[in-house]
Amino acid sequence: MGARAMLLAGTEGRDLTRLEEYRAIGGYAQVPKARAMSSDDLIAELQAATLRGRGGAGFPMGRKASLIDRGSPRPKYLVVNADESEPGAFKDRQVMAEVPHRLIEGCLIAAHAIEAKDVFVYIRGEYLAEYEILQRAVDEARAAGLLGDVDVTVYRGAGAYVCGEETALLDSLEGRRGQPRPRPPFPPVQGLYDAPTQVNNVCTIATVPAVLELGAAEFAKIGAESSPGTAIFSISGNVVRPGNYELELGTPMRELIYDWAGGIPDGRELKAVIPGGSSVPALTPDQIDVPLDYDSLGALGTFFGAASLIVVDDRCCMVQLALRSTKFYMHESCGKCTPCREGTRWMVQLLERIEAGTAARSDLDLLRSVGDRILGKVLCALGEFAVYPVRSYLDHWEDEFVAHLERGGCPFAGESSLEGIVAPSDAHARHAAAEVPA
Amino acid sequence: MTGGDVARFAEEVRALAARFPDARSATIPALRLAQERHGWLPPEAFREVADALGLTPAYCHAVASFYDMFHLAPVGRHLVEVCTNLSCALSGAQRVVDAFEAELGVRPGETTEDGEITFRTVECLGGCGYATVVAIDNRYRQHVKAEDVPQIVEAVRGR
Amino acid sequence: MRGGRVSAPELVTLTVDEVEVTVPKGTGLVEAALAAGIEIPVFCYEPRLGPPVGACRMCLCEVAPGPPKPQAACTLAAADGMVVKTARTSAMAAEAQNATLEFILVNHPLDCPVCDKGGECPLQDLTFRYGPGNTRMVFPKRTFEKPIPISPTIALDRERCILCYRCTRFSESVAEDGQLVAVNRGALTTIATFEDEPYRAPFSGNVIELCPVGALTSTQYRFEARPWEIQNVPTVCGLCPVGCNVSATTREGRVKRILSRNHPEVDGGWLCDKGRFAFGHLRARDRIEDPLRRAGRRRFEALSWADALDELERLLRAGGSSTVTALSGSETVEQAYALGKLLRQGLGAHTAVLPEEVPDALDAFRAPLSAIRDAPAVVVLCDEPVAERAPIVDLWIKAARRRGARILTEIPEEPLEGAVLVSDDAARCAWFARDLGAAAAFYLPRTPNGRGVADAWSAAADGEPGDEEPRLLVVSRELAAADPSVRALARRAEAVVGIGMFEDTFRGLCDLVLPGTSYLERDGTTVNLEGRLQRQRRAVIAPCPDELAWIARLAERFGVELSPHASVVFEEVSARCYGGIGFGDVGERTPLPARAESRAPVAAPASAPLPDGEGLRLVTYRPLFSGAAVERTPELQFMRPDGEVELAPDDARARGIRTGDPVTVSSNGTSRELRARVARDLAPGLVRIPRDDAAGLHDVVEVSGRA
Ligand SMILES: Cc1cc2nc3c(=O)[nH]c(=O)nc-3n(C[C@H](O)[C@H](O)[C@H](O)COP(=O)(O)O)c2cc1C
Ligand code: SF4
Ligand code: FES
Repeated sequence: MGARAMLLAGTEGRDLTRLEEYRAIGGYAQVPKARAMSSDDLIAELQAATLRGRGGAGFPMGRKASLIDRGSPRPKYLVVNADESEPGAFKDRQVMAEVPHRLIEGCLIAAHAIEAKDVFVYIRGEYLAEYEILQRAVDEARAAGLLGDVDVTVYRGAGAYVCGEETALLDSLEGRRGQPRPRPPFPPVQGLYDAPTQVNNVCTIATVPAVLELGAAEFAKIGAESSPGTAIFSISGNVVRPGNYELELGTPMRELIYDWAGGIPDGRELKAVIPGGSSVPALTPDQIDVPLDYDSLGALGTFFGAASLIVVDDRCCMVQLALRSTKFYMHESCGKCTPCREGTRWMVQLLERIEAGTAARSDLDLLRSVGDRILGKVLCALGEFAVYPVRSYLDHWEDEFVAHLERGGCPFAGESSLEGIVAPSDAHARHAAAEVPA
Repeated sequence: MTGGDVARFAEEVRALAARFPDARSATIPALRLAQERHGWLPPEAFREVADALGLTPAYCHAVASFYDMFHLAPVGRHLVEVCTNLSCALSGAQRVVDAFEAELGVRPGETTEDGEITFRTVECLGGCGYATVVAIDNRYRQHVKAEDVPQIVEAVRGR
Repeated sequence: MRGGRVSAPELVTLTVDEVEVTVPKGTGLVEAALAAGIEIPVFCYEPRLGPPVGACRMCLCEVAPGPPKPQAACTLAAADGMVVKTARTSAMAAEAQNATLEFILVNHPLDCPVCDKGGECPLQDLTFRYGPGNTRMVFPKRTFEKPIPISPTIALDRERCILCYRCTRFSESVAEDGQLVAVNRGALTTIATFEDEPYRAPFSGNVIELCPVGALTSTQYRFEARPWEIQNVPTVCGLCPVGCNVSATTREGRVKRILSRNHPEVDGGWLCDKGRFAFGHLRARDRIEDPLRRAGRRRFEALSWADALDELERLLRAGGSSTVTALSGSETVEQAYALGKLLRQGLGAHTAVLPEEVPDALDAFRAPLSAIRDAPAVVVLCDEPVAERAPIVDLWIKAARRRGARILTEIPEEPLEGAVLVSDDAARCAWFARDLGAAAAFYLPRTPNGRGVADAWSAAADGEPGDEEPRLLVVSRELAAADPSVRALARRAEAVVGIGMFEDTFRGLCDLVLPGTSYLERDGTTVNLEGRLQRQRRAVIAPCPDELAWIARLAERFGVELSPHASVVFEEVSARCYGGIGFGDVGERTPLPARAESRAPVAAPASAPLPDGEGLRLVTYRPLFSGAAVERTPELQFMRPDGEVELAPDDARARGIRTGDPVTVSSNGTSRELRARVARDLAPGLVRIPRDDAAGLHDVVEVSGRA
């Protein structure tokens, strides 16, 4: 286990955003190979590789393709989820910025598997530079006749985290407010424009060429048994060398934090690791010898998520961490379903009171209870993403919450690394609704 | 916009719409186009987009108000946005925010007197490994420290 | 359609709270539970608004097979062997529904005592049954300026709104007006119209009834009554030929509001804003309560009923058999029959000006209006906008389009399998119904009960109409009084008698006017555009005697036997033209009469030729928001059309005219300044103008832009 370049292979010393450079290292060679195969064979190959989705849920990409209703008279669509908005995640961005053609190659192969003629890449609006690079690469590939009868459209979002949720993404792509849809029906049956649709994360699709190049059998040997292959891990927060590291799945978390990212700076102590982006339960220092793969992290009661680690050292107040995190999910709640819309706001109000030291002990139970009442009742997982981390802070650092109540204020007395951090200024301050006190 | 501009705008929007299986999909690109023309999205912008796509102004406003990158109120010529989410915050984003407040003399969400710069604090920009991230007119500046702020502001004003 | 379409009669058996129930495959869980006699509480779920959205989370139940967490029952379809547990038998479901209510109430003002919805509020009821007893929320709630008008007829209280998105879904996917929307995101989301423009669309009022809380309320009903003080009288709207089923909410003898009384075949539970809000005319300033006699060119004076009947008798005797009756089509069957019997049997005056000619041939194409929604194709042959003539029909057509039906606005080359025909021209309708072999055909009459009135008049006696030169003219009701041809006739008559509600309409026209009742003040029957007999019930007492009462008294003087009771009168008519069904059997659920094959020949319609050259053919129409009732309802003034001329896209482009441009419409001599609207549904070569704005224009006009 350890470092292994697959998605980012060939980037050293080469500008792979340029078509000829990418072809020089064997780029696009897998497309004709795939197109020579029948859809069924290609899907079988992808299933054999058990390439698990890198967007969060870890659902096998090949199995998803097999669910596509290819008998449907409607067109089939492939949608690449490049909305990457999970706090802590910045891996998809590097793929689009450095190996856009690998993503396009993956799109063409996946499109062939599900018999799609239209591919849409939904990229978050803030990624302007990455959009330009990807768009240029698509134009280059089209000009070189590589797309064949497939068209790839790069679609820019406009600033809404929830649009990373696949059905909200589809509504946004249809020109609506990006709000999640009830499921069933699931996208493979009824997705974009109600047609069968495969939605995959950037890294999932960008891994597909490697699967064909190595062959499913070989690919399956790489990384962890239950989750083969590599992943680009985004690591940020209190580490010496934050950044992206492509490692085999199953690499120990400790190795990533201490060997690759250089450990905790300024001689501070490790306090917490949020392993999958800000939406998952945090781990304590004694839990970091876990292999970085879906099942091992699942066994610890947290998630692989977006393969994005946020490292927190002992300067940070966990109540402030909870408050800032919850404000994000409140701000991004789409407002469609009741528990998330109302519950996240209520949690913020409770956390503010706890941080101020004016809360009662019963407020801690209330905070837990409000969280429990959101879990499992929401239309999409965003509401739960607000709860998971906060609950883990309460479980592991309850004494710190209690200390706030006992001292009548933050025990860090203004020294917390998050002290004074501001919430986002509301984008639409013009609206009456914006006067709402959170 | 003059009548001619409106007609040309409608043409551009219809061209956008033609690239999708359903013209409605052009709503967000069309709103972005309108925002580039007006600097923000005034009521007439919604009417223009609605006319071009056969939608209603109310619908277009409903869509725009859902997304943070659309401006429903006038903004400065330049947009300075500081990420204040966890990773940047853990790495001192609030000191960068303070520096901008001091340098610009406005609070987050406000625009400078001269209408040059609108200053916003925003959610994660996807640059967590390169904190603090500051987006200037949607172009990222990374590893920003409080001490870089005066020179950044100067550069922006210079544009 | 997202959410899937219900089809196939295949049956599935599932268990709801231990009760086994068998339903057609695809039935929603909410309906399946209902079939088992079990309620699954809902807020956002409303099948008439399209696929479920699963937003409010009120319907959370324990469902197996499925993930080990509560499922939104409203978004699931019944499947074989499914086991559903509601709050009654599942702790998980009970907890989930309780949680949902707690979250809904977290920011709800709980101002029930001053809320119009109080006492008939689903949120109140469900909170009582499934909700938390006390509140754990001690923080400042979201506050908004409240209530804000979103139109002169509708007020919005954003604090009470629970964001079920029923109103916005109605606006987007039923009425398709796209005017009421949700703005902003998350906890800041609110319902709104564009800027401060009013919600100005013909069906806007339905959102009041759809709202499950007191967020959208009627400005007319505000603070007017409490549920325990009111009565709801089931009746039928009398303002257009659809005859939507309504209930009139009354308090202390006054109509306070009109609500829909869902008839799935006729109105699908929707009302137009005219039917809903125009009841204001009952108390109009110029309402006629006593008989009036001409006392100067434009003046009337009241006279006693005794004098009035003597005077009327005198005029009738003078008029004799050359009395002509102008009927409006807004009378009940019984009123028309009573008049007919008095005048025809008593005076031998067989001549009438009837509002409608409905060819019998159409009875062979009879079907419920809901057949439009289910048709694979709908052919709409209308010069006038459908919504202006028979509003609900427009919603059925939209529903058909959403279901994937082809909507054609001209005659297709080859016959279309299962096509349904809709036309505003009786002759064309009858002809093309046969020509296309239509599965069903609907003629849109001009008047609410034109068909019933024609039936009744012909049933009243036998005898041939004489020449139309009237000595006495009897003008029945406003629609007739407003008709130019009737007014022309009046000028030739020696004397004119009117029956109606509003003084202004008859001033200068009549020598004697007798007070008339409104459709909300009378008992009787009407025949709607389907040919369906429906029952109107007296919701409030009229400020004047019932027509049948005094017509019967007068009939006596002419030796004509006539009952003052609608039931008796109806049965007389029924024996002659409605197969003898009894008054009591005419309810809102009366089945449509069977189709009647008719051999009667149908004449090919002479379709008006399009003028050649620059000219365009003028089509005028009576707008939905016009007429005596609307003119007397202040809240509806903003709905009245503001001087617009509609052009087909091609004709507009050819003249460089865009929507909103000021234009001049002229035909030899006369010209009018109007605003242009480009109408996609309009055939090339036609222009469309509301009748009142078209005064003086001939039927071929020129349209030119004004720079
Ligand atoms: C609130 C929310 C946000 C999400 N954001 C993203 C995202 O930014 N990128 C992404 O790939 N998946 C995101 N997901 C997961 C997607 O819904 C979906 O599972 C994923 O794109 C499937 O791709 P995969 O199978 O390749 O992982 C998000 C899910 C939720 C509930
Ligand atoms: S959980 Fe939140 S984001 Fe997801 S649907 Fe509900 S309100 Fe919207
Ligand atoms: S009724 Fe099912 S979610 Fe609203």
